[in-house]
Amino acid sequence: MGGELGSLVAAQLEAEPWVGALVGIDVDPPRRRLRTAEFHLLQPSQRERIVDVVTNFNPHVLINLSVWEPDARTGLTHARQFTADATTAIVGAAAECPALESMVVRSGIEVYGRARNTPTRPTEFTPVDPTTEYGRMLANIERSAREVGKRMGIAVGKLRLAPVLGKHVPSPLGRLLRQPVVPFSLFADSPFAVVEDGDAARAFVAAAVNRLDEPLNIVAPGAITASQAIVRGKRIPMPLVGPEWAIARQLSHLAGAPIPEHVVELMHRGRLADGSRALEVLGFQPRLTTPDVIDHLYAWESVVRVGLIREVA
Amino acid sequence: MAEILQFPRRAAGKAVTAANTVLTEPLRHWPAHSVDDYGRDPHLVQALSPLAHLRWNVSVGGTQHLPVKGGALLVCNTRRWALSNIYAAWALSEATDRPVRFVGRPDFVPMGPMLRRIGGLLARPDEVLGALRSHELVLISCAMSNHSRHAGEVDHSLIGAAVVAGVPVFPVATMSSAMSRTARAEVGPQVRPRRKRKGPLAEVELAEQVQHHVQRMLDGFGGMQTGVAPLDWLAEG
Repeated sequence: MGGELGSLVAAQLEAEPWVGALVGIDVDPPRRRLRTAEFHLLQPSQRERIVDVVTNFNPHVLINLSVWEPDARTGLTHARQFTADATTAIVGAAAECPALESMVVRSGIEVYGRARNTPTRPTEFTPVDPTTEYGRMLANIERSAREVGKRMGIAVGKLRLAPVLGKHVPSPLGRLLRQPVVPFSLFADSPFAVVEDGDAARAFVAAAVNRLDEPLNIVAPGAITASQAIVRGKRIPMPLVGPEWAIARQLSHLAGAPIPEHVVELMHRGRLADGSRALEVLGFQPRLTTPDVIDHLYAWESVVRVGLIREVA
Repeated sequence: MAEILQFPRRAAGKAVTAANTVLTEPLRHWPAHSVDDYGRDPHLVQALSPLAHLRWNVSVGGTQHLPVKGGALLVCNTRRWALSNIYAAWALSEATDRPVRFVGRPDFVPMGPMLRRIGGLLARPDEVLGALRSHELVLISCAMSNHSRHAGEVDHSLIGAAVVAGVPVFPVATMSSAMSRTARAEVGPQVRPRRKRKGPLAEVELAEQVQHHVQRMLDGFGGMQTGVAPLDWLAEG
């Protein structure tokens, strides 16, 4: 509930008439003003406290967004550990809640992998075959949730999100694209799709309302290639052909925008997915297309006006 | 009293902004395009169209058989090195004003990404099924042949995608010359299965029927007509 996506989901759930009480856990405080939600500041390693909070609350619906994308908020080693700890604690705690009816977990289209001759636009029926560490982390979350769902006999919805971008979302892809000089693969320049954070939050709320019990791809319509995104953002494109990617990754890391393995894969092999089933199952359609999300990413105000602040005392 | 040190931040910031402006100025008027859901770039296809016209002058027929909306699977014959699926897909796209995606792009750099930008798909049943379910026109090829008037076998697993998606299948007869620009792409009426099958026989029988239809259309085209009788006779093999 503390991250950008978690705060958005919490804010939208507060507005839902069917939501009675709302409890959230995160390592960071919420980034939005939440009126009724109860928040607990806990580390992923504090498993017993997490289990206590979840079991005492005994929810009907549990949404697990605790995924640390490598190089978004922390490096790969910590991201892997935090994600594993949080999954064990939250999904494990879910198994102890007698009232639980449904669980929705965050996953990503990285689970499909981009090995040679894999489908350009995988559907939910395409076998999971991750080819990056982030993809394997997400596949583990799905597996844990599925096992608990089977054991408890509850609905388990898995939302496979395209890379989530937004003005304030910590994302290695977003950070890379916003650099003044952006490398891209000259010979591949493969297309990818993304999703806006607000749309991703709406998908989670829709999944919770509908008690989703299957995996769904959440992808903004359309696609864009890295070079097209760079031109849209009026950045300087730096074409690379192969071996110099290692140097570019190091330089980018020094510049404050590390490029993790799954983003390199996206640049080389692309990352698309078929998101049409979300409309059939949830009646959900992203508001922004992929090119719109990219434009939105570049329209980043340096100062955010929050409106008039009134003195009350 | 401590003295506040002021770094020349503004000056440095202005210098960076100026440098960035100079470097990005050439991109200011660069068109900001995007690709479609399968990575096809309609602007690139349009830009390459004059080049394609230099090589092929395709006369297209039978497009009235194709659905205006919804997906359909098209099956064309292909002669070795003729790039039949590429020119047929391109010509049918122009004629129908709908993107026609051809199946059979490789998945290695640089050919794979290049062909994907002009509408290529991988020759996988799930890839074809996904495109058909997304209401796309997809063109697959018969097995490659050395003879321009021979339709090779049709991969029944790809036809199976159309059976599963419940979309119509159309034969497309193509013919081109290695020496001239003249080429032809003729779409036939929808191939309907003779018997209703529940199992995999449906796709096997439909694949055979499609091959038969394409062959019949090719036979109807007649032989090579260069205007030089001995050459036409030799081309008949």
